[in-house]
Amino acid sequence: MNRAILNQLDVEAEKVVAKYDQKKAATLTLLHMAQDKVGYVTPEIEAWVSKWTEVPVVHVHEVVTFYSMYHKKPAGKTHIRFCTGTSCALGGYEKILSHLKKKLNIQNGEVTKDGKFSLEEAECLCACECAPMMQVGDKYHMDLTEKKVDQILDAHK
Amino acid sequence: MSEPILSRNFNIPDAHKLSVAESRGAYETAKKVLATSKPEDVINAVIASNLRGLGGAGFPTGKKWQFLPKDNPKPVYLVINADEGEPGTCKDRYILERDPHQMIEGIIISAFAIKSHKAYVYIRGEYVEPYRNLQAAVDEAYKKGYLGKNLFGGTYSLDLVVHRGAGAYICGEETALLESLEGKRGLPRLKPPFPAIVGLFGCPTIINNVETVACVPHIMKNGAEWFVKLGTPTCGGTHLFSLSGHVKKPGVYELPMGIPLKEIIYNYGGGIKGDKQLKAVIPGGISAKILTAAEIDVKMDYDSLKAAGTMMGSAGIMVMDENTCMVKMLYYATKFFSHESCGQCSPCREGTGWAHKIVTRMYHGEGTLKDLDTLLTIARNMEGRTICVFADAAAWPIQSYIGKFRAEFEAYIQNGKGKDLKPQEAVLQHG
Repeated sequence: MNRAILNQLDVEAEKVVAKYDQKKAATLTLLHMAQDKVGYVTPEIEAWVSKWTEVPVVHVHEVVTFYSMYHKKPAGKTHIRFCTGTSCALGGYEKILSHLKKKLNIQNGEVTKDGKFSLEEAECLCACECAPMMQVGDKYHMDLTEKKVDQILDAHK
Repeated sequence: MSEPILSRNFNIPDAHKLSVAESRGAYETAKKVLATSKPEDVINAVIASNLRGLGGAGFPTGKKWQFLPKDNPKPVYLVINADEGEPGTCKDRYILERDPHQMIEGIIISAFAIKSHKAYVYIRGEYVEPYRNLQAAVDEAYKKGYLGKNLFGGTYSLDLVVHRGAGAYICGEETALLESLEGKRGLPRLKPPFPAIVGLFGCPTIINNVETVACVPHIMKNGAEWFVKLGTPTCGGTHLFSLSGHVKKPGVYELPMGIPLKEIIYNYGGGIKGDKQLKAVIPGGISAKILTAAEIDVKMDYDSLKAAGTMMGSAGIMVMDENTCMVKMLYYATKFFSHESCGQCSPCREGTGWAHKIVTRMYHGEGTLKDLDTLLTIARNMEGRTICVFADAAAWPIQSYIGKFRAEFEAYIQNGKGKDLKPQEAVLQHG
């Protein structure tokens, strides 16, 4: 299944690689593109990136393991990054995170049974002026309360 | 301050779109500069303006540009550091999301000044929505001939690529950023050589912060003298201060360089939430040494804060009220640094992890008085002993929190606070 998706991405990959002065510089971008389609970084994706960037696949794997945004195992359909930085701590995020965990019935790094959500306790996401906050999918949700968390989760069901 | 400069479009609807930005004057200065000025004119104006790097280091921008080698046969790159990640900071997000054309115009003029024909913007991976606005703005600028070949119908050409990071604080360090942009792990490089000599793909490279380049069109439009007058004698212009924590009105405030910290907290931030007493302030992001309530008369500029024993950093101000537990705050600081150490240098990799284990144990009620001195020893052995300043930044919270609030740490340990609680619960119930 990955193969078919990656074959479709080949056209776009060619354009991406052409934007950079060196092919290897496209590594992070190609990984983002493939992960967005597949949900996490599989060995097939690493091989595909290696093919386009002309760097050894072990190097691509090294990159995948270094950066926190690449999922090494399947994430939920909607991935939640909950900010646990200093400003969010000053804003009392702990109570809200605990509420979210109870509601989803998962801990940090886990996926809900129905596969809809996964949770990651993230370092500062730099929306400190609106702490506490979390990122649901792509979107930043700010000034969180328990009630607001409920509404956001309901909207994603 | 009377007129906002960098933030003038932040509350204008759709200012990220070219039509709206142009109706507010975007690209007029770039057109004029490219048509009537020489690159040296721009460099001289930026030097005269006292513009300093607003990402945190505060290095004079024009001087940095002058480090580029003369008569160099290789391409020159301009790289914009939009990898905002310093806890307490959110200012660049406002420019990227709300007024990206302001930054693009700054990139055009800056790249022209350093004779670069290729610029990269490295934006943090989690900033997906700001990325979309920025990429759309770049696409619009290309379509209109403001980027690409023969800008504004003239002879100068510039390509601009927006590159997304993937979640690593260390990539805000400029040489780690270059490694990451080259498709590698973000491990800082040894300096020298400095990026101006050997940077991206081995070529001369200038790395500037988002806000720094956004200042450049305003300097060229209104003159260096005008910019100097906005700030202090050594530091021109205004700055976007990110204000968070226990204040009534957190937010991003554009204020003149050198404004007293007290004024930011009490006038602009509206004072402490719940009218409580102030306990401490971190003035420049998590890496900056903490200030006590007695120290907030300090002026917010690079030199004044340095003289006060801390630093301006990214101007991320985090305010803590009287009920804030300093053991808990140190727990959050060490958690951050142990998570984000790239692992390249032993003192940092081992030191940040060790410090966090001790502080976690202390926070959960199992600390001893001896731990405090052990932490200070670890901090001393990290500071100045690694490739980049991350280890120094990790040492400073340890040194300053314990140094300024030692009695509180001792009381926490001696009174057995945090005991009888499971680790997770302790995190929930203290402070």
